[in-house]
Amino acid sequence: MIDNVIDKKNSSGFRFSRIMTIAIREFRHTVLTKGFIFGAILFPLMMFVVIGVMPFLLSNDQVPVRGTIVVADSDGSVARAIEIAFARFQAKTETGIGSSTAALSDALAKSQQGDVAALDALSDITTTVEVTVRRMSIDDDLAGIRDQVQSGELLALVEVPATLLESDPPADADVSLLVPSNSPAKTTALFARIARQATVVARVQRTGTDLAKAMALVREPQAQTARLTSTGTKAKENLELRFMIPGGFMMLMWIAAFTSANQLLTTTIEEKSSKVIEVLLSATSPLELLAGKILGQGFVSLLMLSTYGAAGIAGLAFLTMLDIVPLSSLILFFLWFLLAYFMVASIMAAVGSAVSDLREAQSLVQPAMIVMMIPLLLWLPISENPTGWLATITSFVPPIGPFVMVLRTTGAVEPIPIWQIGLALAVNGFSTIALVWIASRVFRIGVLMQGKPPTPMELLRWARAR
Amino acid sequence: MNQIITNSTNEPAVILRSVAKRFGAVQAVRELDLEVQRGALVGLLGPNGAGKSTAIRMIMSLIRQDSGELRVLGGDALDAKDRIGYLPEERGLYRRMRVGEFLIYLGRLKGLPRQGLSSRVEGWLERIELPGVFRSRCQELSKGMQQKVQFIGAVLHEPDLIVLDEPFSGLDPVNARILISTVQDLHRQGRTIFLSTHQMAQAEQLCERVVLINRGEKILDSTTREVTQRFSPRAVEIEPLAGIHAARSALEAIPGIESVKAAEDGLTAVLLVNERTDPHAVMSLALAAVPCRRIEIARVSLDDVFVRLVTEHGGHARQPVRGAA
Repeated sequence: MIDNVIDKKNSSGFRFSRIMTIAIREFRHTVLTKGFIFGAILFPLMMFVVIGVMPFLLSNDQVPVRGTIVVADSDGSVARAIEIAFARFQAKTETGIGSSTAALSDALAKSQQGDVAALDALSDITTTVEVTVRRMSIDDDLAGIRDQVQSGELLALVEVPATLLESDPPADADVSLLVPSNSPAKTTALFARIARQATVVARVQRTGTDLAKAMALVREPQAQTARLTSTGTKAKENLELRFMIPGGFMMLMWIAAFTSANQLLTTTIEEKSSKVIEVLLSATSPLELLAGKILGQGFVSLLMLSTYGAAGIAGLAFLTMLDIVPLSSLILFFLWFLLAYFMVASIMAAVGSAVSDLREAQSLVQPAMIVMMIPLLLWLPISENPTGWLATITSFVPPIGPFVMVLRTTGAVEPIPIWQIGLALAVNGFSTIALVWIASRVFRIGVLMQGKPPTPMELLRWARAR
Repeated sequence: MNQIITNSTNEPAVILRSVAKRFGAVQAVRELDLEVQRGALVGLLGPNGAGKSTAIRMIMSLIRQDSGELRVLGGDALDAKDRIGYLPEERGLYRRMRVGEFLIYLGRLKGLPRQGLSSRVEGWLERIELPGVFRSRCQELSKGMQQKVQFIGAVLHEPDLIVLDEPFSGLDPVNARILISTVQDLHRQGRTIFLSTHQMAQAEQLCERVVLINRGEKILDSTTREVTQRFSPRAVEIEPLAGIHAARSALEAIPGIESVKAAEDGLTAVLLVNERTDPHAVMSLALAAVPCRRIEIARVSLDDVFVRLVTEHGGHARQPVRGAA
């Protein structure tokens, strides 16, 4: 039965124009769908817009904080710390417009600097804060105050148990903060943070310690890390970027390659099940059809890569961090992507040609998918040591090699040896050609087969068939 | 449409010599010899599962024969894709594609230039009475309309050889007539047409030559005229003015008549003529003996020939097998 299908590779009718016609149709009918336009174009665009606009939205979205809070503590020290913090904040914001309250700000700063040195809860607040603090004792009857909080007349009630201000406070003692049910989350979080910090300030003040000095003593200095490479140069270390950049590139490549390859699988199955395949094969050879489909979906993949990549690069430009992705890495990334795409697409096209529906495809695709998940598992270990033995060996193992090389070339502090890049290109390039060839052998037989799906052994026989 | 330029070679458009094809345990086609002359309109007849589609797929080089020689337009069908139009038995369209776009796509695959292709498609849609569907999606069309769209896909590029696998199945009489008329036009232009069907009436109406296969084996290959002559029932149909009962004894007395078979309505009868007598002579004698409303030599239909030959050659073919399409 293997010999049923004509080997069309020797057909003198092999025409590039046919391949391009098929590729363009494949591209148009994938790209001009609502799902693709949203997923591959609008979504990254929206992401970019949201990243750019979000800070403005957030800053403009803050509700002004105006009103009174009641602070009940044992000696008024916490209430005073909170009062000073708000007063300082108001003075600071008004200084900018030359208000006379600048004098008050100076006075407060000089007299209470030590008390509120650690109270930075208001440092990143950009909205209007006009809060009056009413002091009460923790022993007072606070029922009426709670009612006022519930009705929204008061912004909050802060209750600080006396034990919290002792030099050795019990572990289970906490500050109590009551706010109205409609209190904005940001305002509530602000009050909670001020209450916690003010409690610490009051506690330290009681011991007679200079808080500013204590804070200065316990502050951990930043470690300016640099890697001394084998060439003796210093490379700046940025731990977050060392993991995020390679991971981002690899995921981008993985998603672009798999989305298009999966589309290739689906369209091939559709063409078989809708019986349009025989009409196509009366006009073109299986090899031309396969080449056109792979090429068309390749264009789709490149479009996705471009939109997401452009959004990423625009993001880096926005953060003035473009220098961390050199042009050479981008060029290599493009090469690795081509190899990865053609390998994955060949596998998917071969499977799609051999089955009649998606359910049947699952059993054949699963082993390939398991293999293709390996780069995701290798992300962290290879990013941690891009020149280690694991990274080096897996670079030469198709079909995961291109993904590993992307992790290495975008994540390594020192350059990957040229011979390793060359050898990986050669090994993975040869493997890509071999996979495309095998896929074409399976495809030419598979597209005309009906009935039960083939076993992996049958697929191998198809590939070997004359 | 322009007349096609005939190829200088006199080689038939399609040649099959001892072609055989087996699917597993089933011999789909056995030792099939067949020639389709250039410019001919030939019908491949046979019951379901006789091997018609397998033979056609081999001609189209979609599957390869196990043995034998096969030539199409002087070579391999693969080398002449742009000169062959093919309507497969299992029809398919891109359901979400627009009709015009689909046909333009097929035209481009067949090597037609983009320029003028759109108007060519619209011309064909008008011709087979599908105006206004150019921008419709394929899935919006009825089954019959889809079939006509697929037919256009097979002939749009004005091929030298047109291979149609069951082109009229599933069509209502009106649409079947439109397609038959179009096929006849294409034939008049000099194009070679090879079609398979199990609808004998249409084959009889269309084809100059018929090839009948059963169980993968050729059991008849002849012109339609020869078939009707060869399988003539040697009978005369008569409708006496006075009815059969009144005329029976006079008819039975005519020399050379073996028997008189009256129809159930009692109005007509068939006079079976023996081997040694000319039916035309019987017709003259009958006319002289009995006043008639109608009398004619009985004609054989392809349907009768089909049933007779298939029955003689082991009955109905096996069911199609699963395997290579």
